This record gives sequence, C-alpha cells and structure tokens, in this order.
Amino acid sequence: MGASLPPKEANLFKLIVKSYETKQYKKGLKAADAILKKFPEHGETLSMKGLTLNCMDRKSEAYELVRRGLKNDLKSHVCWHVYGLLYRSDREYREAIKCYRNALKIDPDNIEILRDLSLLQAQMRDLSGFVETRQQLLTLKPNHRMNWIGFAVSHHLNSNGSKAVDILEAYEGTLEDDYPPDNERCEHGEMLLYKISLLEECGLLERALEELHKKESKIVDKLAYKEQQVSLLVKLNRLEEGEKIYRVLLSMNPDNYRYYSGLQKCLGLYSEKGQYSSEEILQLDALYKSLREQYSWSSAVKRIPLDFLQGEKFREAADNYIRPLLTKGVPSLFSDLCPLYDHPGKAGIIEQLILALESSIKTSGGYPGRAEKEPPSTLMWTLFLLAQHYDRRGQYETALAKIDEAIEHTPTVIDLYLVKGRILKHAGDLAAAAALADEARCMDLADRFINSECVKRMLQADQVGLAEKTAVLFTKDGDQHNNLHDMQCMWYELASGESYFRQGDLGRALKKFLAVEKHYADMTEDQFDFHSYCLRKMTLRAYVEMLKFQDRLHSHAYFHKAAAGAIRCYVKLYDCPSKSSNDEDDEMSKLLPAQKKKLRQKQRKAEARAKKEAEDKNEEESTATGNSKSGKRQHAKPVDLDPHGVKLLQQVEDPLLEATKYLKLLQKNSSDSLETHLLSFEVNMRRQKVLLAYQAVKQLLRLDADNPDSHRCLIQFFHKVDSMAAPVTDSDKLVWSVLEAERATLSQLHEKSLIEANNSFLEKNKDSVMHRAAAAEILYVLEPNKKPEVIKLIEDTTNNLESTNGALGPVKEWKLKDCIAVHKLLGTVLGDPDAASRWKVRCAEYFPFSCYFEGIHSSAVSKSADEKICKTPENGGLNHQKAGQSIDSHSVNGKLETFKDLTI
Amino acid sequence: MVCIRQATIDDLLAMQACNLLCLPENYQMKYYFYHILSWPQLLYVAEDYGGRIVGYVLAKMEEESTECHGHITSLAVLRTHRKLGLATKLMTAAQNAMEHVFGAEYVSLHVRRSNRAAFNLYTETLGYKIHDIEAKYYADGEDAYDMRKQLKGKQPPQHNHGHHHHHGHSHGHGHGHGHHHHHHGGGCCSSEAKGVEAKGGEAKPAATE
Repeated sequence: MGASLPPKEANLFKLIVKSYETKQYKKGLKAADAILKKFPEHGETLSMKGLTLNCMDRKSEAYELVRRGLKNDLKSHVCWHVYGLLYRSDREYREAIKCYRNALKIDPDNIEILRDLSLLQAQMRDLSGFVETRQQLLTLKPNHRMNWIGFAVSHHLNSNGSKAVDILEAYEGTLEDDYPPDNERCEHGEMLLYKISLLEECGLLERALEELHKKESKIVDKLAYKEQQVSLLVKLNRLEEGEKIYRVLLSMNPDNYRYYSGLQKCLGLYSEKGQYSSEEILQLDALYKSLREQYSWSSAVKRIPLDFLQGEKFREAADNYIRPLLTKGVPSLFSDLCPLYDHPGKAGIIEQLILALESSIKTSGGYPGRAEKEPPSTLMWTLFLLAQHYDRRGQYETALAKIDEAIEHTPTVIDLYLVKGRILKHAGDLAAAAALADEARCMDLADRFINSECVKRMLQADQVGLAEKTAVLFTKDGDQHNNLHDMQCMWYELASGESYFRQGDLGRALKKFLAVEKHYADMTEDQFDFHSYCLRKMTLRAYVEMLKFQDRLHSHAYFHKAAAGAIRCYVKLYDCPSKSSNDEDDEMSKLLPAQKKKLRQKQRKAEARAKKEAEDKNEEESTATGNSKSGKRQHAKPVDLDPHGVKLLQQVEDPLLEATKYLKLLQKNSSDSLETHLLSFEVNMRRQKVLLAYQAVKQLLRLDADNPDSHRCLIQFFHKVDSMAAPVTDSDKLVWSVLEAERATLSQLHEKSLIEANNSFLEKNKDSVMHRAAAAEILYVLEPNKKPEVIKLIEDTTNNLESTNGALGPVKEWKLKDCIAVHKLLGTVLGDPDAASRWKVRCAEYFPFSCYFEGIHSSAVSKSADEKICKTPENGGLNHQKAGQSIDSHSVNGKLETFKDLTI
Repeated sequence: MVCIRQATIDDLLAMQACNLLCLPENYQMKYYFYHILSWPQLLYVAEDYGGRIVGYVLAKMEEESTECHGHITSLAVLRTHRKLGLATKLMTAAQNAMEHVFGAEYVSLHVRRSNRAAFNLYTETLGYKIHDIEAKYYADGEDAYDMRKQLKGKQPPQHNHGHHHHHGHSHGHGHGHGHHHHHHGGGCCSSEAKGVEAKGGEAKPAATE
C-alpha cells in the first residue's frame, strides 16, 4: 500500500491510516491532500481520503472519492477493502461482503480483511461462509487462541456441534498442563463450560458429565458448574443425584423458583399444568413443610403451596400466607395472588378470607381468633387488597368504595391512588384515571415510577400534549423527544403512537411506530461489535445465546405492537389518502395570515438550527479522541424537521407495499398471533391478492376458528370471491380452482351457503355479544336489505350473569371494550344512529363509570374530575377526529377500529 | 412471591423497560448487551409470579484498575414491589458472584446524595461505606457518594440475605449513573479484551498491516 509513492508521500500515507485509526480526521485529511497535490489520481490516497470524510459525515463526497480511488487502482486490495468499510458503515453488508471478496482475490491471505469478512458473515448469518473464513484464519495463524475459538464457534453456529467440540479439544491439546495462568482462569473456565454445553447439545450426556467432573477444578463459575451438572443428571434420569444438587442450589438461593420446580421434577412431583392427584398433593405438602423449616426466610416456600393445595387446605394456607403480609403492608400482595384467580374456586375462597379479616379487624382490631391487636395500617392494606380483588372480578363500584375507604383511612399512601387510577381505567373513566394519577404524581415528584404511571394514564386518555410535558420532567436536557427516543423508551412511543392513531393523527402515529421499529434495527446492529469481542472475552455461551436472541428479536411484543400499528396507519392511509396528505394545508388554512407567517418562520428557524447543529456535530466528531461510550449518545440530535410526520406520510408512495414490509416480519415472527393474520387479511384484500388473503383466513381458522374475527374474514372472503367476475386468464382460472378445492375442505362451509354458514355460527355462539355482532355484521354484508333483522340480532343480546367462579358478587358478562366495538358497529358500519344511541343508553347503565357511554358516575357526566382534563389535549393543532368517525365505506371488511384496541 | 435468578439474554428488554420506568439514568440496549456479554454472572433479575421483571441489578467488573473490583452499574425495583427485600437479595447475589467468580476485592457504586432511601439500604443493610464524594456526578448537577464495600476475607455466608429488610423507599428504589465514568478493557481476567464500544475500532483498513 502506498507502495507506488516516493518515500515522503509513503510516510504521509501511513499518517492518513494512523489518523483514521485514532480518529484524528482533520490531520488525516491534511496528509491526504498533501499527497494528492503531487499525485492527484493516486487511488489508495483517494480511497483513504474518502473513508476519512465518511467519518466526518460527508457521505456523498466519501462515496465519490472511494469510487474514484478504486477506478484508478482496481488491483489494490486497499481500495477494495476501503470500499467495503464504507458500505459496512452504512449497514450495507451484502455490498460490503462483495468488496471484501474482491480485495481477497488480490490478497487472499490478508488477515485484516479475512477478519472483517468473518464479522460480516456472522452478522449476516452466512454460516457456511463464516466457517470457511474462520478456517482460513486458523490456518494462517494457528498460534492465536481466538482463531481456534472462532473456528469452533463457526461450526457450532453452522449446526455442527460435534465438530466444534473436536476443534476445542484440539485447541486444548496445544495448551500446557499448568494452563491457565491466574489471569486467564475465568476465560478458560468459560471455554470449558461452553464445550460441555456443546456436548450436551449433541446429546453426548455421559461424556459431558465426565468432562465436567474432570475439569471441575478449572471451572471458576461454581454456580454455572452446578446448574450444568444438574441439567445433565436430570437428562440422564439420575434423579436422586439431581435432587441432591437441587437442594444445594436451593441452599445457595432459596428464592429461585426454577430450583423448586427442578427439585419437584427429580422427586416425580411435577406437572406442567399444575394438576396433581390427592396423593401427590399430600407429598408436595410434606415436601414444602420441610423446606419451610430449612428456608424460613424464603417467600417462595410459602407461596408455591398455594398453587397445588385445594379446598380447606388452600384456605388455611392462604390465610396464613396473607396475614403477615397485610400486617407488614406489602403492596404487591394482590399481584402475587392474582394467578390463583385462574384456578377454579380459589377466587371465591380468597374473597371470603379477606372479607373475614376485614370484618374481624373492624370489630375487634385484630385477626380472627387472635388476641393481639393489629396496627392501624393493617386495615388499610386489607381494604387495598379487597379493592384490587373486586377490580379483578369486574365489580368496579365495590372496588372503588373499598379503595375510597382506604384513602379516607390514610390519605398519604400513594399506592392507593395508583390502584384507584387503575380501577377507574378498567371501569372506563380514562380521564378521571389520568387526573388521579397526576394527583399521585404530585405527592412525590422525585419518583419516576409514579411519573411513568401518570404519563401512561394520560396517553390512555388521549392527553398526549400533557403526557409529553409530564414525561419531560424526568429527562435531562428537557428535550423529551430526543431523550426518550435515544434511550429507546418504547412503551412511551407505542402508547403515544396508539393515542395519535385513535385521534386520527396518522402522521405522528406512524412516526412513533416507526421509531420503535428503528430501535429494533439498532439492536440488530448492536450485535456487530460483539462478534469479535466475545471471542476474545470468551463469553461464548452468552454470545451464542445472544445470536439466537437476535434471530427472534422481531417476535418481541413491542415490535409486534409497533409493526401492527404501522400497518394500521398504512391501511388507513390507503383508505383515505386525501385526508392525511392535506394535513399540512389544513393546518395552515385554519390559521390567520399572521399566524401562518409565524409558523413558516418557525419552520425555517428549526431547519436552520438543525443545519447548524449538524455542523457542530461534525466539528465535534472530527476533533474527538478516545472512545465514545455506548450507554448514551453524546451528541445533540438535530432538530426534528418533521415533528408532525406530515412529510413522512407524503413520502409514502404505496402504503400497502409499505405495510407488506412489516406484515412479512409479523408473519415470520408472530405467526401464532390472531392479529397478524387479521392484518394480513386487511392488507391483502385491498391489494387484491386473493390467495394471500385466503392464506390469512386459513391461519385464522387454524388459530381460533370460533373467533368472531375469524368468522368475519372467512365469510367476507368467499363473499368477495363469489362477487368477482368469472376468471378469464389461465392463472385466474388456476386460482379459482384452488379456491374451489379449498372451499370444499372447510367444515364451516361444507355444503352450506354463506348465509347458512353464518346462521350456524350464530346458533353455535348465540349467547356471546361479540359473536352475535359478528354474525349480524356478516348478515348485513350478505343481505343488506335485512338491516332491521341485523339490528334486532344485536339488540336482542342479553347481558347474562357470569358463572361466578365461586366468588360472591354477581358479575355481568359483557366487557366494556366489546360494547364500545358494538356501538361503533351500529353507528358506523350499519349506519343506524338510533340503534347506536339506544345501545349507548343501555350500556351507560351497565358501565356507569364509562366516559364513552356517558355513564352516570363518569367524569364525562359528573364533571367531578379536574377541569383541565376535560379540555382538548394539546396535540399541536391538527384536526382530530373522534375515534369511530373516520369510517371508510368502501373497505372490504368494515373498519379497523373493530380490531382490539391496543393497550400497554 | 418473587423469583430471584440470573438474568438471561431474554430478560434484557424487560430490564431496560424496568429501568426506564423507575430511574432517571437510562442506557441503550447495547450497554445491556455489553454487560451480559462481558460478565453474564453479574446480572440478576427479580421476576414476579406472572413472569414480569420487577427488579434487576446490572453490574460489572472494573478490569483496568490495579485492584480487581466490581461495580454496580444500576439497581432498580418497581415501586409496586417494595418491602420484599428484593434490592437486598439482588445486590447480595451480584456481590457473591463478583467475589466467587472474579475474585473481587471490593464492590463500588454511586448513589445520589439526595436518595436517602437507597443510601440507607447501602449503608445499613448492605454494609457499604462512603469512600469519596464525586461532585456533580449526575447530569443534573447532583453530587454522588462513591461507596464501597469490602468483599475479601469476610466470607459472608451465602444465604444471609433472607431476612426481609424494611426500607421505606420514598424515591425510585435504586440508582444509576449520570455519566459513564467507566472504562473497560483488560484487567482481572483478561489481558487482551479491548473496549467493545470503541466504534470503528474493529474496522481498520488492511493498510495497517
């Protein structure tokens, strides 16, 4: 490199490289210019200058120079390598790999390039290529530990675990007997544990166990040693030995539930679903009694028996469990008991139990059968627990009465307000819930948790402006958007995106959803540096786990929500394109001329500021030395030039195509979610992709054929197919025949017309309000002239009492969010305002706290909630439509609002 | 009530979410990756009965200094899960691992001067002492106590962490950093590990050789 240059320039060239590595870009640039003055077309210098400029955020110049450099010196591996580095910096890994390969054609044994190539191969999961490159590296430098390890890991990733073991053993063969020296004991131990986990993965259990024992003294991490040992013993069915190890592990950490279930498995007393015979229950009871004596301070030993005990024994154990925790005032007691509500009969026992405690404390000041008096706080915590119990049971009025009693008892305990807010939210008064959360927040301004809770409630109540102002109180620079985004605060971005969506503000909704999507792209990128780091650090088990985690990253709940939200935005944008694209004009046109001028000025200023900041940033980066830390971003972000997402929407050329991008990720990573296929149905029906839409229908039937939405999609699909013109082209004919054949296989449609199929669906589910609503909607689609019958079908539904799960109070079956969906169906899809208002009156009675139905106790009616919360939120002046008003009459499937509202 | 166990890679997103709910000092995912891929033994979570992460400790080894020691990067417990002694259990677990896996001499941490609740936990329950005061350590200008606890020679029994400690934490239960005053690299166990975060550090042009 630089070889063709005279000595002075060759030295300057070395200086460029060195300056690049030490991030002294200005210096490098100067040296490059000095060479170019004499040799203006020197390829490698041009390339390096480009690479340097790339780090100074001068991208287009960088690409131009690097390409020119390469053109001038096609035979230089440096030029190719630099080109690859440039692509790599832009995450264009495929292009980068091509460049590296070209560089290697010229200089096949170049270690630097091989190493860079191997990193990209790991990143891109080009596993066979990865194996090849790592093999080459090992051949070239067999005295480097990292090359042995890298070769082994590459085989492991490429599904050849036993080969990986062979390589590691060969590596061990190169070591001295007294290896490792003291300062490498951790790493060597990790390598051994990795090898043993590989043996386990290959099913070589005996050998793994043998190796583990043999190397015991060299394995530093004793906890990992024991966990590995017990895992092998259990797999080898050596349960008695396994039991001993689990008991040792428990003595080390009696709060690890996994050790308890492990111990139970070894004793043959474990059932995945928690179903035990009475004999087994006796044995379990005895087991935990003895464990309780050993680990009296562990809460797990007391809690776990509540899962398997039944009836009177459960009652007794629950009583003993609850009492001290109430006395102590443990706020999480209810959430701890909550899973028991899914066990038949236990909710009722718990209710009786707490009521008995309450009445005893109220009358005698102590627990039943006890002489000692309880401190006054016990009554408050009992009421607190009861309130949450009634909330869980859907008895909101009683729940509120209990929590109010607790607040009256001790008005200073913040937890009470948080729970009251939650009850109000469940009962349907989002505005009051937000107001209450704000009250709680003001009781301790230094606690971010309460702040977060409050922000969450405000977003649920669509008070986005207020929520932002509140969240900003806990961000450093006061620039909440940058900070929350930089710190990847996804719950916040999702909740605001959902609120914007409810309010019809597609631009800002989409912006938030895509922000979350970006975090996931960044996380994928995050792994890059670790491909080499972990090989050096030898944290191989964690590294391989991380790669697997990355491979399923998009199945994470936050990503799912963000992708689903973005798809909904795109679908809505497709359905009513005019509305959103005119947003800016609308906004402008509503303003007075003077305000318009001001707004434009503001925008110009913002742009200028952004430009300035970008320049400052360049300056900073070019002078920065040393490493930047990844925990936080250090540079101020440029000002957001499109805060309302207006441009974002305008840039979308084909919304459905954009939606498809995210849909594919959902289909790949969340294929067991009903929502994925509902969205797929919506998108593909609009795209006229009949077979893809049918696939969605089939998936829905596979997951839950009885689901109202599955039914809706099924019938609508075939209704649409029936209404299509007869096929003309060969491919259409083929599609047609496929669908005919498929139709015959569906039990729902077997020898039935669509109307008959709808009827039998109704017949099968005639007591469920959501099923009836779906059947009614479909009836309307199939026979629009039968509207009175359709409305009657919905209105004839009765709100029955739920089977009470053993608990006392009567609870009606209907859920608030279902009733809201039905109301929207009546008012929009069916277009019957009278029926809608009759429904509203009826539901106002069932849901007296609901603002939506203007229930008598809701803040929408009583105005009891703070004045400020009833004002329109300050979202920046866009014209917000009320949810449910924006209905698209030509969509195939009614509207997206009928999808379940997403909540955080 | 709550399970205390080593964190896995699948817990990291929930740990980050927990951190963002409770504490003003936040980190990007990469920093969590960095911790678990460097010292997987030092991350613990508290998981409630429904599988939700309600607390965590994120810790590291300071490998550059002469004395091998651990450092608590961040500790948090949701306000709803106070009074269970979770912070104590999480801290004890991380400290044990520092000592037994990495042979740490002592463990250090930073805490806001105003965070009395956390300060009490560290001094009274966990035996930390003030080592120094770092002026304006946090981004908002608040000072930090630089606290330390000796580990070696004391040999704490492994299960001395059960007795529930009552600390009425009025503030975010836990702490974190305002800045990254931490360097990482070779040291205790490793002589060649370079800072993984040195961006571009891996991307050297072939011309260097």
